[in-house]
Amino acid sequence: MTTILQYTLSGLAIGGVYALVALGFHIMWSTAKAVNFAHGDTLMIGAVLAVMGVDAGMPVWLACSLAILAGAVFGVALERVAVRPFTAQANSIGWMLSTIAIGIMAESLATMQFGGFSRPLPSPGVDRPINVFGAGVYPQELLIPAVAIVLTLGLGLMQKRTLVGRAMRAVAHDKRAAALMGINVNRIVALSFGLSALLGAGAGVLVAPVIQASATMGVLLGLKGFAVAIIGGITSAPGVLVAGLAFGVLEKFVEGYISTAAREIVAFGVMIAVLLVFPQGLFGKRETVKV
Amino acid sequence: MASTRLSRSSGWLAAAAVALFPSAVLAQKAPCIGNSVATTGPAAFGGAAIKMGAEIAIEEINAKGGVLGQKLKLIQYDDAGAPPRGVDNTRRVALADKCVAILGGYHSTVTVAQAEPVNAIGIPFIGVLAANTKAIENGKSPNFMFRVSAKDKWVARFLVEKAVAQSKTGKIAFFYENTGWGNGALPDVQAAMKAAGKELVATETFNWNDQDMTPQAIRARDAGADVVLFWALDREGNQILRSMDKVGFKPTIIGAWGIAGNLGELAGPLANGVQVVQTYTFMGEMDPKKKALWDKISAKYGLKDPQEIKMSSGVGNAYDAIYIIAQAIEKAGAFDWGKVREALYQVKLEGLVANYDPAFDASDPERQDAILPQYYKVTAWQDGKLLPIEQTPYGKSN
Amino acid sequence: MSRSHLLGFLAFAALLVAVPLTAENEYELRLFMLFLIYGLIAVGLNVLVGLTGLVSLGQAGLFALGSYTGAILAVRLGADLVTASIGAAVVAALFGVALAYPTVRVRGVYLAVVTIAFGIIVENVAIEWTALTGGTTGLSGIPTPSVFGYELTGYGFYGVLAATLLLATLAAHNLTDSRYGRAMLAVSQSEIAARSLGVNATAMRILAFVAAAVTAGVAGVFYSFLNQYISPDIFTFSDSVRFLLMVILGGAATTFGPVLGAFVLTYLPEYLQDFQLWQKFAYGALLLAVMFVLPRGVMGTLGLGLKRLRPAARGLDPAEVAAAGAGLPAASRATTAELVTQGLTVRFGGLTALSHANVRVKGGEVHALIGPNGAGKSTFVNAISGVYRPSEGAFGIDGEDLTGKSQHEIARLGLARTFQNTELFGELTVLENVLVGGQSRLRYGLVDALLRTPRRRREERELRAAAVGLLAFVGLTDHANEAARYLPFGLQRRLEIARALAARPRLLLLDEPAAGLTSQEIDELAAMIRKIAASGVSVLLIEHHVDLIMAVADTVTVLDYGQVIASDRPGVVQNDPRVIEAYFGSPVAHGELSEASA
Repeated sequence: MTTILQYTLSGLAIGGVYALVALGFHIMWSTAKAVNFAHGDTLMIGAVLAVMGVDAGMPVWLACSLAILAGAVFGVALERVAVRPFTAQANSIGWMLSTIAIGIMAESLATMQFGGFSRPLPSPGVDRPINVFGAGVYPQELLIPAVAIVLTLGLGLMQKRTLVGRAMRAVAHDKRAAALMGINVNRIVALSFGLSALLGAGAGVLVAPVIQASATMGVLLGLKGFAVAIIGGITSAPGVLVAGLAFGVLEKFVEGYISTAAREIVAFGVMIAVLLVFPQGLFGKRETVKV
Repeated sequence: MASTRLSRSSGWLAAAAVALFPSAVLAQKAPCIGNSVATTGPAAFGGAAIKMGAEIAIEEINAKGGVLGQKLKLIQYDDAGAPPRGVDNTRRVALADKCVAILGGYHSTVTVAQAEPVNAIGIPFIGVLAANTKAIENGKSPNFMFRVSAKDKWVARFLVEKAVAQSKTGKIAFFYENTGWGNGALPDVQAAMKAAGKELVATETFNWNDQDMTPQAIRARDAGADVVLFWALDREGNQILRSMDKVGFKPTIIGAWGIAGNLGELAGPLANGVQVVQTYTFMGEMDPKKKALWDKISAKYGLKDPQEIKMSSGVGNAYDAIYIIAQAIEKAGAFDWGKVREALYQVKLEGLVANYDPAFDASDPERQDAILPQYYKVTAWQDGKLLPIEQTPYGKSN
Repeated sequence: MSRSHLLGFLAFAALLVAVPLTAENEYELRLFMLFLIYGLIAVGLNVLVGLTGLVSLGQAGLFALGSYTGAILAVRLGADLVTASIGAAVVAALFGVALAYPTVRVRGVYLAVVTIAFGIIVENVAIEWTALTGGTTGLSGIPTPSVFGYELTGYGFYGVLAATLLLATLAAHNLTDSRYGRAMLAVSQSEIAARSLGVNATAMRILAFVAAAVTAGVAGVFYSFLNQYISPDIFTFSDSVRFLLMVILGGAATTFGPVLGAFVLTYLPEYLQDFQLWQKFAYGALLLAVMFVLPRGVMGTLGLGLKRLRPAARGLDPAEVAAAGAGLPAASRATTAELVTQGLTVRFGGLTALSHANVRVKGGEVHALIGPNGAGKSTFVNAISGVYRPSEGAFGIDGEDLTGKSQHEIARLGLARTFQNTELFGELTVLENVLVGGQSRLRYGLVDALLRTPRRRREERELRAAAVGLLAFVGLTDHANEAARYLPFGLQRRLEIARALAARPRLLLLDEPAAGLTSQEIDELAAMIRKIAASGVSVLLIEHHVDLIMAVADTVTVLDYGQVIASDRPGVVQNDPRVIEAYFGSPVAHGELSEASA
């Protein structure tokens, strides 16, 4: 029983990270019908810059805030440089490869500046574990899924209540119509990339005390986050959140009862299976073809 | 053209024959030593350490006039930790640069992959970090794979001995990474346990970049282990320590040298008391010989604190390896792969890490390894520093 | 084969002979052999990416499957190079089919993610299945390659690799300008149109995936034998990216592009080592630069430049046109087709778009289907051409039941159509569009295509003559070599008709062919429709232009709210009060009807 609880709690922590990354993919996809394949590196940038800020003698809160901001700037810049020039093309090879290229460059720069090592980010959340009915967990780990849930709700509110949020929904629904209504589509798309990068870098800062920051930490988290977005249905924010948390828990159980290498096999196998049965993901909207 | 082709293809046949009978080669090679290590990627610190040791040794040798009247050169390639690149670099060093020998790097998977071309071509290879047993003890004869470093088989025996001595319940668990290095060590540790008349109570594995090892920690805890052997790198070692902390499991930890990098920084106080086997360290008090080497390194590479060298064993091993190769070339009297290989068995040297007497032994396939277990050193983490264990509180209690 | 391609192949062959003669040492030759292996992967991947436009980021997984299959066969069972290659090709092909299956439901980014997942799964299975694969330690001791008992050393193995790449490049080139290559290009540009012309789009995608899988698999075997050691970390996601980049850098859909791309990316790391710490960064920067500067790749850009420098004639050689003769092929059957639908019903959720429609298009007649917007005309068209599956009811041609058949099957049974919003293959030339139309009548198979047999040449020649004839019929011979998307709108409509006729249909379905045309163009269209009907093809015309209907239709059927409310001669229908009410909500004089809807 304790074991099951332990796996569930650990799974929710990592699932929260997947959810935050996947939420970013959801936001980008909604407005641009394109995503940043290097989104995992946004997370890495957040984590790595926060540690470097602390190294430079900044207080932790300042280092983290600046790192998250820098991540957002990276997202906006990447959209302008590597996504926008290619979204007009019929197939997606252009922006896929160009964002992958930026990811390679970002990772390589980070390795040079930061070194190949993992480094810790200090946080009061990992000083000592707390005991939940016999299962041990760091407060920081409980914080991550909580933040993911709050942000999903907040995103929903923003999309419903604010002008910018409504503009984002309009662009997601029909770009041309939105442009005719006087919405600056390019600005909204840039904004959505910035927002998603903000979430990504935020996830990096949140998770760095638990899994440590390193130049290579983003790749797999990014791919898994994308897998989660697709399983949940990339058009649905709550779907993505649920899928992320469930995916994390599933992974822990596979790890616990089978093995860690089986984890990737099962996780990605589940993704393919879900896509075959629900091509739009579990909670996604179906896009119909018209002749 | 037909005749050129003929001579070319006969040359090729000769090369193939050479691969089968390497001792037949008598060609003079260039006075260079290839160094195929990871200078980029997550284990670049290992490559950096090797490079420092090798460069300093070559500088010293050249300052004294070189070998056979020629200055030695180090030709540096990056394998980025990837086996195919290691293999390509090996062939490039042997066939394009025609160097007299080649040094190997940090990753066991790369070294295992290099064993094939090394023995097919017949160029002496000296591994200076990767500890995988089978890479060097590969059953080939003649064997061109040598090592001036720790060997997992011996490390396993060494660590199991320490573990049995420190265990109160006699229950020992083994945590190893799911890589060529970790998997290669598994049979070594099992054999060492058997030799000690025991069995592992838990055998747990994990992958690189795994972020949570609570399932493994729970199983080891529930099996009642009070000593855990680690074959892990710093990043994952830290995750295991934290997971153990979460599930309230506090065993004695003794590890192979993958956790000799920055575990202290990553895990903070959790790392205190974790023991690590090494072959060489600059930490703690230095004798005059070590001090002299450190002064050279700090001047040449602009380092201020010995702590900045993350894998000091790499420095010591590479430094010794270069001297061993140089002496073998002198004894062989030629820059020749076959002759140098023969001469390696004759080398006698008072090195930094060990007293090599002789460095290798042709009659014993286990003695393609130069550093005997008696030269292994136990170090322990103490407040972020990895010190010789006798200079820490943990050494005094044993 | 064109002269420039022939020259290209000769130069390539000469290079393959020259390299081993000039290689300074074994290392150089080995590196070149590595390039030959990567070239093989790239050539196969190009069929997938260049022709069908699908992106695979899991090619390293297929490469790994081939490597492991070959290595295991060789180490455990002592298989020689040939047996190992066949084994690996079969395994890889099976997985190619499995990977193609998701394309039935998902495309684009989704498919890319499926292939990424596939690659990661293969990598982890190789790690996990230690008993078979050696786990992370990998498989070593792979023997030197041998063929039928002869050990291949050095040049022998080189010869095998060089010959394989040369033949694979040639085969891919032959495939590209065969019916298969055309069909794949057509599918990638408009799947719905390709299907409507009898192209089995799923089969084409499976074929492309299998081509990419088999080449990667065989390349994997070669790699195992060359390296004599394999481990899971040789086959990572970044290798998949590199393979894709080879195709893009060299030029997707070009013959020599992938080979060139593989060459550059095999030798690049050698030079990038000089950048030391910056090498990965430089690689990323190069990738980015390629996407911006050479999105069509080196060969694609070169080809484009050459075309600008020496533009090909826009039209056809008049002699060829004269030889083909303008006009329609005679109807393939003595009796012309009759389309009958019985109680045809299509529902979308709770909405009934078409309700129990009974329509009969008699053989050889021009039958017009009209109705106000939302009456169910498009639904009817899509139902009988197989785009939608009817919820109830049945339909068939000449008594042959077509209900539930797929789009391409219906097309092959004699129904061809045009589209309301034209669905041309934009990047193909006008002539090629018509050639795709005649696709389903070709009988030569894959082997004929790959080997360029006399049978293939004869059938292609005949098809081309027929296509030229059709172009002459619709008056497009002067535009034959232009890309279809550059045609003016009116001509695009005509091209669609020519393309549909090339399938030699028994029933031609024209979906609002007059929309957007000038009145002169409409008159020409009317004449064309009459000629088509006269040649024995039944025509079902969906139209708003009453003038056109009055000019050509033998029968008019009126749909309203998904139901047939009238079906008779035009004159009779025009005066039917129900029809008038459907259009205006209240009875009006018939004169107003023609004005209002014109």
